[in-house]
Amino acid sequence: MSEASGKIFALARHEYRSAVRSRTMAAFAVILVSATLVSVYVSSVEYAAQLADYQTYRAAALANGLPRIAPSPLAPLSLLRGALEYLEIIGAVIAITLGYLSVARERSNRTLALIRSRPVSINEQTAGRLIGAVGVLSTLVLATVVVAVAGVGVIGHDWLSIGQVFRVVLVGLAAVVYLGIFYCLGVIATTRASLATNGLIVALGVWLVVVLVLPQIGDTLDADNQVPGGLFAALGLGHDGEVTILQHFVGYERTRTWIEDASLTKHFERFAFALTDVKERYRVHGLGWLINETKADLAWLLAYALALVAGLRHTLRRQSRTASSTTT
Amino acid sequence: MIVTLTHHQLRSIRRQRTFVMFLGSFVLITTMAALLGYSSSRTIVRVYDEATKLLAETGQPAPPNPFDVTPSLALLSNMTIYVPFIGAILAVVLGHSTVIDDKASGIGRLIFSRPLSRRTYLASKVLAVALALAVVMVVSWAISTVAVLLINGGISPGDVGRLVTYFALSWAYLFVFVLLGIVTVLVTRQRATALLTALGVWVAITFVLPQVTSGIRPVASLNPLTAPAPAVQSFFQMTSHLRPLSLSEEYKSASATILRTGAAESLGQTLTHTAPVLVAAVALGALCLGLIHRHDYSRSGSDE
Repeated sequence: MSEASGKIFALARHEYRSAVRSRTMAAFAVILVSATLVSVYVSSVEYAAQLADYQTYRAAALANGLPRIAPSPLAPLSLLRGALEYLEIIGAVIAITLGYLSVARERSNRTLALIRSRPVSINEQTAGRLIGAVGVLSTLVLATVVVAVAGVGVIGHDWLSIGQVFRVVLVGLAAVVYLGIFYCLGVIATTRASLATNGLIVALGVWLVVVLVLPQIGDTLDADNQVPGGLFAALGLGHDGEVTILQHFVGYERTRTWIEDASLTKHFERFAFALTDVKERYRVHGLGWLINETKADLAWLLAYALALVAGLRHTLRRQSRTASSTTT
Repeated sequence: MIVTLTHHQLRSIRRQRTFVMFLGSFVLITTMAALLGYSSSRTIVRVYDEATKLLAETGQPAPPNPFDVTPSLALLSNMTIYVPFIGAILAVVLGHSTVIDDKASGIGRLIFSRPLSRRTYLASKVLAVALALAVVMVVSWAISTVAVLLINGGISPGDVGRLVTYFALSWAYLFVFVLLGIVTVLVTRQRATALLTALGVWVAITFVLPQVTSGIRPVASLNPLTAPAPAVQSFFQMTSHLRPLSLSEEYKSASATILRTGAAESLGQTLTHTAPVLVAAVALGALCLGLIHRHDYSRSGSDE
């Protein structure tokens, strides 16, 4: 191991250990995992009954020697929807908290000056922090996913195949990138604030807008969401009629899509929902097609990640300069 | 004494950025809710016109206009989402900032070296923040009333009354979270732990409990039109007993009845939805009182 990677590893381990020891982080992780378990339980109970019905039909069809048996319309991966939504919302709060605690802890323990007294470059500091945080967030995502997948198997009586598990792993990786962005936000906002708690409040304000407000506006402006049961259904129009009518609302729909696109959460959601069969229209397609279809969302996710990592590096560099000038 | 302290507290709140942020955010969300409502109602009318033309071309009769059954105050239905999501977080921060400085800076020690009872101290803090919250609600009500007047071309006295009742309910709901912000400062040692604990409770009330008691997914709860889970599931029959704890659901149900954007309910049912909010406010108030008596102000808290 080179000297630089040794330093990065030491910083990452410090970040990981401190986070794991934090009671606040533990409490939030318990809330996330419990909420995931409840959501999977709720959806799996109904799913188990539907699966039993299908298996009864299949057994009867086989016994009667029917030549064609209808494939199962059920999608066990879609049962993870609640778990993904919790990662989107509560996971992001946890990531911001992780970033906040990382800075606040160094300030209150005065360890920042100690680290700077060692020959550690800004790049090593940034990498060390990020790797440690990614380790914590990966542990969190892994715990959520394992609970969700086990819940589908045990409660829904349907264990995922290797291919489905691979999809879940891809979604998990995207979730770690998504949460990493919020971690960077937490660190940047807290470092820039003279009082760490104010930085936390600013980061939570951004979270509120990105995770809740922008997707909510996009959802509310959806013409079909204006009436309970759907506007187009109330007007007696099918999918073709909806498409024809929406051609008269190109500008409106473009604005709505633009608002949704401004939200990082929506990009993660589109990718995750496509791969986990949440949207029925995607269920017939293979993994390659789905990744190609959602490549713009993946690109946005990566662009946000790169921008926030660059912001983190810039903030740490600035903090270092400010500290040096204060010392001299 | 209580008047002096309340006056002082009101001046502090006014000087704090938290109150300006709170008021500014409410002006923004109320305006946004009205604009979204306006946009939605315009869209419904335009979609209906296009649908009528399309159906006429295929020789089918025009369906009834869905806008005819849309209630007059439906254009503000997004407020019932923004209050529990944005307003409640801001209320926690407001409650937190009301008591944290006295605790963290050591001013609390100085204050209690004077002949002042803790009950009077707490009452003045709570009264001041309740008044500040009321100012925000009055501003929000005024914007909503003007928006309905302009967009609908008029407003009935009944609708004015309904808006007053709705904002009174919102005041009570937000007051619960102000008290939550105060309680968490009194039970924790550090500034951040207090804020994060309150945030954890908010997450549980806003996202987790509606899922447990009614099967409402977190993202679905962002839409004013949410379909509850089927009541046949034995799980929900069991957890529905916890529904009074699901304050955000109770608030949304009561709001939908008051604004007439949901299913019609009797006065008794509306009061059943309102009662948990009021009980929570009273319980947290009593808890604040108990905690402030036991709180050790001689030990200055950490600034972080």
